[in-house]
Amino acid sequence: MEQRDEEIMMEYQSGKDPQAVSIIFFRYKSRVLNFCLRILGNRADAEDVTGDVFLTLFSRQYAYDPKAKFSTWLYTVARNRCIDRVRKRKNLVSVWFSSQESKEHKQWDIEDTEDLANDQLAKREAASRVKRAIRQLPYEQREAVILREYHRLSYDEISQILNCSLEKVKILIFRGRESLREQLKSFIEEERR
Amino acid sequence: MNNHVEIKELVSAYFDGQATTQEKRLVEDHLLECASCQEYYRQLHKLSATLNEWTNEDLSPDLEQKIQRGLKEALMDREKAKKTKHPLFKVGVGGGGILAVILVLVLSMQVYNKGSFEGRIKSPTDNVGPQYVPKDDQIARAVQSAESDTLQRRASIDNKIAAAISPSQQLASQKQIDDLSKAEVVKDERNSRAPEKKLKESTYFQGGAPMNVPASQVAKRARRRELGGFQESSYGAYDLAAGYVRSDAVQPETNMLYPQIAGNTEQYDRIYENEFLTVKDNPLSTLSIDVDTASYSNMRRFLNSNQLPPPDAVRIEELINYFNYDYPNPTGEHPFTVTTKASVCPWNKAHQLVQIGVQGKTLNTDELLPSNLVFLIDVSGSMNQPDKLPLLKTAFKMMVNQLGDNERVAIVVYAGAAGKVLDSTPGSNKQAIIQAIDNLNAGGSTAGGAGIKLAYSIARENFIKEGNNRVILATDGDFNVGASSNAEMIRLIEEERKAGVFLTVVGFGTGNYKDSRMEQIADKGNGNYYYIDTQKEAKKVFVSELGSTLFTIAKDVKIQIEFNPSKIKAYKLIGYENRVLAKEDFNDDTKDAGELGAGHTVTALYEITPIDSKEEYGNVDEMVYQQTQVIQSKDLMTVKLRYKDPDADTSKLIKQVITESDITNEPAGDFQFAAAVAEFGLLLRNSKFKGDASYQDVLMQAKNAKGEDSYGYREEFINLVEKAQTLDVRVPEGPGIMFKN
Repeated sequence: MEQRDEEIMMEYQSGKDPQAVSIIFFRYKSRVLNFCLRILGNRADAEDVTGDVFLTLFSRQYAYDPKAKFSTWLYTVARNRCIDRVRKRKNLVSVWFSSQESKEHKQWDIEDTEDLANDQLAKREAASRVKRAIRQLPYEQREAVILREYHRLSYDEISQILNCSLEKVKILIFRGRESLREQLKSFIEEERR
Repeated sequence: MNNHVEIKELVSAYFDGQATTQEKRLVEDHLLECASCQEYYRQLHKLSATLNEWTNEDLSPDLEQKIQRGLKEALMDREKAKKTKHPLFKVGVGGGGILAVILVLVLSMQVYNKGSFEGRIKSPTDNVGPQYVPKDDQIARAVQSAESDTLQRRASIDNKIAAAISPSQQLASQKQIDDLSKAEVVKDERNSRAPEKKLKESTYFQGGAPMNVPASQVAKRARRRELGGFQESSYGAYDLAAGYVRSDAVQPETNMLYPQIAGNTEQYDRIYENEFLTVKDNPLSTLSIDVDTASYSNMRRFLNSNQLPPPDAVRIEELINYFNYDYPNPTGEHPFTVTTKASVCPWNKAHQLVQIGVQGKTLNTDELLPSNLVFLIDVSGSMNQPDKLPLLKTAFKMMVNQLGDNERVAIVVYAGAAGKVLDSTPGSNKQAIIQAIDNLNAGGSTAGGAGIKLAYSIARENFIKEGNNRVILATDGDFNVGASSNAEMIRLIEEERKAGVFLTVVGFGTGNYKDSRMEQIADKGNGNYYYIDTQKEAKKVFVSELGSTLFTIAKDVKIQIEFNPSKIKAYKLIGYENRVLAKEDFNDDTKDAGELGAGHTVTALYEITPIDSKEEYGNVDEMVYQQTQVIQSKDLMTVKLRYKDPDADTSKLIKQVITESDITNEPAGDFQFAAAVAEFGLLLRNSKFKGDASYQDVLMQAKNAKGEDSYGYREEFINLVEKAQTLDVRVPEGPGIMFKN
């Protein structure tokens, strides 16, 4: 029978079954990476933060209280790390998304060597338009929209992660959507041709 | 509520399923009368879909390793701390044992992760894009938006879906909602515990040895294999068990070769490669044809993402049969021709290679039977990735464009529940069909069993007696709710097969792909099996070769070959590992075998050792009480082929003889190309019989035999070989090659 995240963490912390914590890694690695990737907008930072989140989790630097929901807690940790990263970055130079179009990024954009059919190109075009649209969202809206649209969290969970009221989550998501709707108009309204 | 911004805010929350009961009622009332808010609601759907064009990425192997290392160190530190704290533990009787076990566990952490863990943890959200929260009303909403634009119809659809699933399944899907991952694991356990008599091979998780399978089970499976009358008798229980231990030992190498696979939950059945069999002891070789090509596209997908495919994902016969070969078209009474050729074996000059080619009749448009098609489409949350549902939509639209008045199409979708999206509609009403396809949305878990039942019942309702009745199942293969154990699924499909409904299985996607199950289902359902990784492949299956995909011209096609012991010492069938039949099965019309579609070509290759060879195969004493009289003959072998017409129950027989004079020096033309593909397969499987095979040689042969190649498939093959050559570090390319640590 599969263990709940919370149980696994409890056993990890008490030393009862420490190995099981790698299950946590498998369960959450993709979620954490992609959350950071969309928040930070560049692969190198996202990988750094993801590594940080898990390594500190294993070394038990963060005190997780098994009474709280683990996924929410982990997202909160990831979110805080992302904010740290952004602050640091701002202090250095403004490299906000600047590496987005750099070589390094392209390397990670898995090239579909197979087809360069129009549709495929259109796909990639859509993806890069979406990236740009998300990038221009104010930071808090971006967080809320990403947690909702890509991670399907409830407003309640989002409010815990962002440490704000439910009402605010609702507004953040709504405003974020309004802005995205404007940015991505051509995709959303094409059906009506 | 006269402020529109405010109401839109509510609509946005309502869209997310996060509105309170009161707000919900408010929004629903408002939506009924406000066209602009209806439009807004629709746009939210589209926005969500558009945002998901930015797909999830995977961790880089470096990061993955870094974190794994960090975990290992953390665990080690902890052990150390413990040791210093309780020094007595070491001396304690039981404590020493526990400590040793823990240490071993730590040391084998890497192996453990790649093996059994992947079996246990298959939270669908791991490799999968954003997950629709699978609440019942949300699933209903997904279907609803697929069904129509108006909200009023929601209730009727809810009912429809509710009617389609039994209460017990509803319960199951409710549980599923509680904890997706939990249900996932229940399924796994059920799979491994259920007495799967049909399952011939031991299922194991890709990239890892079957470590989580208890030894007793391995032995049981091995016994089953023996009882099953398998021809490769050399694999007894002992060998299997030995292989089970051995595979642990080779694990580090596997890790190095397929490093990116960690966390992947794709499943492939273990392939036990055919061995050389001596003609004296096994003069007959019997097999069922296999027209599937899924393994080829799957292999291509791996190579295109710069990974070598795991050996068990490579079914050589499917690689060979991916290509069409130029065999003569049938003209006489039989719906196909059989062509045989023989030459020196390119990867082992002491051996010869024999090719048996079957060419199915191509049908003209006026010969096409009316078709009754049911598309059964998986719209579960895991399909919400660009290489799944969107590619699927494109593929089906391509096909629909080929259809006319002669065909009827119905669409059934399944997610947490199964539901009909489109009633059986004439193929000429393209707009309705395409619109229905366009409106499909992914979300929820997967009730594959209920979906299959519903699809078959619709197929039977619209049954065309003198026609082609077929369910086309499109999925990533993860049926995690309902009739979901392999055995149960297969029983269901075998039952439906008798009613004359054929099945085509079309696989999509990566990361959670259940190859083993899909192949079995297609095999049992009188069907064929394709894997679609790109638009080009969709075009091949649904446009260029639609005839073969849809129309069966012969069923239960079996081949039996009798080798002449005075000319041939031993033989090895290349590929077809899970298609080998017992020799008695050939004349037994009740035994199921492969189907041949219109225009299909099927090729089987045998590697044979001539009688004058010095090679030794096995060591069995001469029989004391039996003597076999060998009849001197110039023949090499006799090829026999049995098939049934699509609606017949008795089989017809074709016979053909290959003589020594048929052997040519080098394979030429299409034969050479088929040989090159087989050689490539041996390399990818890292077969012990690969002899002198090399990527260089494969390239040379393939380029030589490329021929006209009007669709560019062969050119693509050549590119794939070049890719594999650079990825495969098992074969040193020359002196001074550096192996990655």
